[in-house]
Amino acid sequence: MSNFINLIWNEQIKLYARKATWVMFAILLVIVIGGAIITKFFGVETDFKEYGDDWQTELQAENERLTAEMSEDEFASFTNPVLIDKNNYHLENDLKPQPYDGWAYVLDNSFLTSVISLFTIIVAAGIISNEFKWGTIKLLLIRPISRTKILLSKYVSVLIFAFTMLVFLLLTSWIVGAIMFGVNGLNPVVVQNLISGFAHNNVLGEIVTSYGFSLVTLVMMATFAFMISAIFRSSSMAVGLAIFLMMAGNTIVAVLSKYEWAKYILFANTNLEQYTNGMGPAIPGMSMTFSIIVLVVYFVIFIVAAWTAFTKRDVAGN
Amino acid sequence: MVKAAMQLVNLKKTIGKKPIIKGLDFEIRAGEVFGFLGPNGAGKTTTIRMMVGLIDITEGDVLIEGKSIKTDFKGAIQHVGAIVENPEMYPFLSGWKNLKQYARMVKGVTDQRIKEVVGLVGLDKAIHEKAGRYSLGMRQRLGIAQALLHSPSILILDEPTNGLDPSGIREIRKYIRNLAEKENVAVIVSSHLLTEIELMCDRIGVIKNGELIAIEEVKGTENEELLKEVHLEVEPLETAKAFLETQLANEVGVDGKELSISVKREEIPHILKGLVEQGISIYSVRVMQATLEDKFFDLIGENTIE
Repeated sequence: MSNFINLIWNEQIKLYARKATWVMFAILLVIVIGGAIITKFFGVETDFKEYGDDWQTELQAENERLTAEMSEDEFASFTNPVLIDKNNYHLENDLKPQPYDGWAYVLDNSFLTSVISLFTIIVAAGIISNEFKWGTIKLLLIRPISRTKILLSKYVSVLIFAFTMLVFLLLTSWIVGAIMFGVNGLNPVVVQNLISGFAHNNVLGEIVTSYGFSLVTLVMMATFAFMISAIFRSSSMAVGLAIFLMMAGNTIVAVLSKYEWAKYILFANTNLEQYTNGMGPAIPGMSMTFSIIVLVVYFVIFIVAAWTAFTKRDVAGN
Repeated sequence: MVKAAMQLVNLKKTIGKKPIIKGLDFEIRAGEVFGFLGPNGAGKTTTIRMMVGLIDITEGDVLIEGKSIKTDFKGAIQHVGAIVENPEMYPFLSGWKNLKQYARMVKGVTDQRIKEVVGLVGLDKAIHEKAGRYSLGMRQRLGIAQALLHSPSILILDEPTNGLDPSGIREIRKYIRNLAEKENVAVIVSSHLLTEIELMCDRIGVIKNGELIAIEEVKGTENEELLKEVHLEVEPLETAKAFLETQLANEVGVDGKELSISVKREEIPHILKGLVEQGISIYSVRVMQATLEDKFFDLIGENTIE
């Protein structure tokens, strides 16, 4: 076991000894800071408004103003109904509107997990093929450690990298958000405009589900890239294929959705949120259980293919 | 009988339908330096890769300290330190951190041991520089250090003197001899530099087209019965030639200012004495060693790849 931890430690050292890894973190930080600046200066004004004790009256006055605006301004007639609905939701549920804060910013940034997916794919694609590129694979595989263990340590290292990036995203989003927008307590209630209508929930729960769902794609695509890297020993191929599929996945499903078998395509199943947000499944007849089974099958195939390629094949000509 | 550190048993490798290695059978003993010699494409690297488990063995086996690399990989490989082809390192890590990587993969390699090995290969000054900035010679030293970390009983070095300057080559040679003689390590050196191999090896296996065609004892070539070619720089040349022709059964050759004769080692003093008695001045006497290179080319003939 201690030697497995050492292997992971080795992988982490190799990862963080390279500038490219630090650039990834820097890019994420720039996006987080930039996003906060844009939200602060170009966001919807009412989001930042602080309401007093008499917030019900304030909201009603605001609704009247918004309704009046709609009859004068054509643009407002498109944008204002949502704001009015939101205000009404607050009034109906007796929820005092809270100004936009650090927590809300963390929640909004859950879309940045796709950036983390991208970086994780790059890392996963390189972690095996780079050893072949550098020629160090020969020195790695002549130690008294099984190839299976080395492969596993590399896979776990990829997951640790993804997790580290995720923690980094959460922390920087919260800190930057807190500095720019303030914080409404430890676990404030957020009102969200979902496809099924408005809903209010505790922000921590929302953050966990929102990030949690996006991790499915991350893990699947990183595992895919890892497999390609193990089979073809080429990082550019692994990066290219994985990113292409990640970007084109939804389109592929949309194009093929008229076929019954399209539901077995990986990308029809990676978005588990389709079962909880009221949107309904991409292809009729799919369920949460079905998708999870499909995902597990793909995952096992990826891992077995990577393992077979890595442990059974000759290391020659490098 | 010296214990075999490594044994190749009818080792075969077939890629597709093409036999690459056609049944190698030999052993390397503890404390000897074994030269593995052969033209390019003969199968040296393929054999070495099979010895360390990088590629699958089609048939036969490699036994390291009695353990099969096929069925007991960990048990076998823990006795081996190796450089396979070029000594590649992580270019973005320092020499020290490169060694630490490998130290973490086996039990019991302390920082003290790493320092010791670094000292042995003479890399103390540059050890904290990035390996990417190392010259080929420095990488070669780091490669040897990496192979020695866990004090293996078998050391496999592919072209170990590649890229080293003459003084570096001499050092490494001395060090390899030392390892074999003092630490009883079995060293396998593959090389195309025949003179190099001749200087540091005890035995040499010659491989051609995947077959072992000869095993030679290097030190054993001091055969008293063998005729040696002796070059003599003498004056006057003609008198000496005439005298020698009366003394010797075989021909006396003239090579510029020198005479060349073929004699047994024990005859040399008599001949010189005779020349002196004849009043012939002797400026130099050179005994030509039948070099390994000649032997090598005799053995393999043309460098053909099937």
